[in-house]
Formats: sequence, structure tokens, C-alpha cells
Amino acid sequence: MRRWVPALLAAAVAGLALYPLVATGYGVRMMLQLFMWVALAQSWNLISGLTGYVSFGHVAFFGTGSYATAILIASLDWPWPVAALAGGVAAMVLALLIGWPCLRLKGPYFAIAMLGLNEALRVAASYFEGLTGGGLGLSLPTLHASVEIYYVMGLVAALVTAATYVIVTSRFGLRLMTIREDEVAAEAMGIDTFRYKLYAFLLSAAGPGIVGGLSARDQGYIEPISVFPLIMTITMIVMVLFGGKGTIWGPVLGAVMLFTLQELVWATFIYLHQLLFGAIIVAVVLAMPRGILGVLQQKYNLPRTI
Amino acid sequence: MSVFITPAMIGQVVISGLLAGALYAMVALGLGLIFGVMRVLNVAHGPILMLGAYVTFWLFSTVGLNPYLSLLVSMPLLFVLGVLLQRFLVRRVVDAPELSSLLLTFGISIAMVNVAQLAFTSDLRAVEFLTGSFVLGPFAFSKSRVVACAFAVAITAGAFLFLQRTRLGKAIRAVSQSREVAQVCGVNVQRIHLLAFGMASALAAAGGSLVAVMVAIQPEMGGIYTFKSFLVIVLGGAGNYPGALLGGLLLGLVEQLSSLFLTTQVNEAVAYVLLVVVLLVRPTGLLGGRTS
Repeated sequence: MRRWVPALLAAAVAGLALYPLVATGYGVRMMLQLFMWVALAQSWNLISGLTGYVSFGHVAFFGTGSYATAILIASLDWPWPVAALAGGVAAMVLALLIGWPCLRLKGPYFAIAMLGLNEALRVAASYFEGLTGGGLGLSLPTLHASVEIYYVMGLVAALVTAATYVIVTSRFGLRLMTIREDEVAAEAMGIDTFRYKLYAFLLSAAGPGIVGGLSARDQGYIEPISVFPLIMTITMIVMVLFGGKGTIWGPVLGAVMLFTLQELVWATFIYLHQLLFGAIIVAVVLAMPRGILGVLQQKYNLPRTI
Repeated sequence: MSVFITPAMIGQVVISGLLAGALYAMVALGLGLIFGVMRVLNVAHGPILMLGAYVTFWLFSTVGLNPYLSLLVSMPLLFVLGVLLQRFLVRRVVDAPELSSLLLTFGISIAMVNVAQLAFTSDLRAVEFLTGSFVLGPFAFSKSRVVACAFAVAITAGAFLFLQRTRLGKAIRAVSQSREVAQVCGVNVQRIHLLAFGMASALAAAGGSLVAVMVAIQPEMGGIYTFKSFLVIVLGGAGNYPGALLGGLLLGLVEQLSSLFLTTQVNEAVAYVLLVVVLLVRPTGLLGGRTS
């Protein structure tokens, strides 16, 4: 890796670490959400970008983390960082329960099963009123901790990105990408495909679980439709696709660009934003399915580990 | 729950389930056609149904056209929209991994919903036509559901006759069995794709026109039908056209039966649980689907 890359990274980290000292509360909340999207997009990339298994209901893990954290804070009075970690664990447990059977499904069937999982969880969250508050939602005690949550959220985004770097450059990552390119060939080469898919799936659930918990703490209020929306899964997918799926920095780039676009452009066209988002999705899918980094990789012969 | 369930209630529920199921089967047959022929999961299927419902609503509220006659308008109109979607957008992702087609049709779907919101507003609309029920001994069935079921059965039967008997229908089935072999036999595959998407959209439109009389019409009404159609084709076996019928009837029955014991909210979850169970136990569907 060239010498300026670590320097640039260090400067970015330092800048982001100092940002809350000069920023307004609004600025901090914006950046905190950007970190959340980076972590979500990067996590989706871990399972779907690397193995090719399309998780079409990845927000299920976000919602599960949100509810687990919120319940732990509201009824057991756990401190929020511990509760958010527990949210990550809850999401991983769910991933194990659902991945164990569903990762045997191929292609579109896995996508449909994940979509179904998310819908089922949303209904379950409305139904078990004693635990979740049902459709009325769950309110958390007031707490002003946006700056602390900003740092933790940033840390999670950085960790998921670092994990992606480690995985993509390891034999584990190679195995996952072999599964993506040709699962039968991967089996034939002696890769225990089911086991590695399951590992990737578990890892990809942890990040959304934790950021779901952090986001619940930051918002102070959650309800079934706010933490299990299909559009959120789509947004993370489009971010990854936009940046370059299966790459390390693609999801970060995609999250930054799409999030900025959302905040700048869509806020101006409130009534049109779904139409614009739909147009962006269609354009990305048709014009550059490999994403920005994918195109650059191909054009300039860049390394796979970008 | 300590609700006493009489045989009459069960009979009522079974028949209601079959009435609803016939409609699901017709709508899902459309989704199944697209999936069978192109291996594309069309997320925009529900929003096309929504457009069909609006066609019926506007024709009814402006010129007072009988909602069932509006099928003659909504089906051809959305057939054309389907052909255009296929010709200009979906065609380009037919051979891409499923992520591309899922996202592309999702993009189309939210754009359609947004356009409907802008054009028709989000107000709930209703077509007040054929209210009341038929009473038969201990059973009572809302008239609009019975008539909708009759139309759905007729339209589905027509679609099946077309698939079984005509040369074009046989070509559609040939392409869904093997695109390459069909092509070698002289079938124009691109044209069959256009036709399949058009037919599928017409079936969704028919569903929209028929439910317009029964439920509230609003731009986001389609999503649930997309999902139910996914469920039906998984139940019946993807690419298996008679399977879609069985799947539709089964979904209707399960939904109605579970409503005897559970609240409407969980009712939806029952459908989802059914989906996951079927995927796990018989991923090829109850009648066996086409394997890729």
C-alpha cells in the first residue's frame, strides 16, 4: 500500500475525532447517522458482497438489536453501551437461528426467506405488547449522550470496515469469494461452504445489531415500522452497489455519497424523494452494477483489496 | 382462546378462504409467469395491481363505469405498461444475478408508488358497488368477494387455456423449461419475455380491478400483494404454473383458518411462517418447481 494512504486515514480519523468539539448538535447527529449507514452497508457487504447470498431483509438484525437494547435499558436499566453490545449478540443469535436453515437455500429463495423474516419480526414486534409496547412503541428515559454515541458509532463503523479488510485479505475471504463465483466448484475444492457462509452471516449480523441498539438509544423511541423498514435494507444494498460490492472501501464511499445526496437533495424535494431514489436505483443497477470502485478496479487494474 | 367453533364456522371459513385464494392464485400466476420465464422476481407486481385498482376507481367515479367492465380497460392498459417495462428496463437484467432484478424492480416499484401519491394523493378511495351479502343457509358471503372469485376463476382458466392450447402459450412454457432449447426450436425468446411480462401485468391489473370493490384503494396497497404472490409461488413451486393455483388456494385457506384462532395482526405472520417452513422443508414447492 502506498505511503499516503495511512497518512490520509490518520488525518480522517483525527478530523472525525475532533469534530464534536466544533460541531453543533445537529452536525453530530448527522455524522452519527452517517457512521450508522457505513456500518450497515459494510455489514451487508460481508454476507452479500462477498458470498453473493442476497440478504433482502438485513434490517431484521438492526431491528432486533434496537428492540433488545431498548428493552434492556427500559426494563432492566442496563447502561447503554452494554445494552447495545447485547443487541449485537441478540442479532447474532437470530442470525444463527435463521442462517442455520436458510443458508441452505439457493439464489432467490434465500432472498425471499430473508424478506419474510423481516416482515415476520415486524409483526411479532407489534404483537408481543408486554415486551415491546406493540404498535405504540417503546420510549427510553431521556439521556443526552449524542457525543458519546457518536464516538461509539464511529468505532463500530471503523471496526466493521477493519474486519472487512482483514477478511478480504485472508484465506477466509478467498473462500467466501469462491462461494460467490461458483459454489459447486468451491465444494469440489473441499471448502465447507455451509460453515463459511454461516460465519459470514453471523459476522454480518453483529454490526447492524449494535448500531440498531445505539440508534435506539439516540432516538429515545422505537416502534415496529421505524426499525424494520424494507426501505432501509434497500438503502444499504444501494450504498454497497453504488460504491462497489465485494470491495473494502466501496461500502464506505457509497454510504457517504448516498447519505450526502439524501440530506442535500431529497430534503429539497420532499414529495419526489421516492421517485428520485427509485430512479437512482434503476440507474445504478443498469449503468454500473459493479459500482464506482468496481469500475475503477477494472479500468486501472487496481488490486482486489481496495 | 375459549371461542366455541361450530362446523358452520369452519364451513364459512373454508369457503371464504377459497374465495380469497382464487384471487391470490390469479395474481400470483402473473408473478410466477415472469419468474418462470425469466427467473426475475418482480417486486413491482403489487404496485401494478395498485394501478389496476386506480383505473377501476377513476372509471367508476368519473363516468360511472361498472367496475367489472373496467377489467376490459385495466388489463390491456397495464399489459402495455408491462411490455414497456420489460422492453426498456427489465430486459437488461434478465441474465444478471437476482440482486439486479430485485433492486431494479424495487426501484420501479417505489417510483410507481410515488407517482401514484403525486397523481392521486394518499387519500383512501373506495368503489361502492355491489355491497351486501349472499346468504345461503348458515353461510353469508359478501357479494363482491363471490363475484371477484368468479371473475378470477374465469380469467385464470383463460390464461391456462392460452398456455396449454395456443402456439404462443406453448412457446411461453417452452421458454420456461429451457430457454436455449426453445430458441433452437425457433421461438423468439425476446418476444416471449415481452408477452410474459405483459400477461403478468394484465393479471395483476385484473386483481387490482377486482379488489378495488372490496378494499380501500391507496398508493401503498400493492406491497402486501407482492409479498403474498412471492409466498404463493414458493408454496406451489416456482415456475410451476398449476402449482401457483394450489399455492393461492392454500394461502387463502390458511389465512382464513388462522383468523378463527388468532388476531388479524398475527394472521399476517402466519403467512410468513408458512413461507419459511415451506422454503425449508420443500424449497422446490409443494408440486415441485423447476430447478435452476
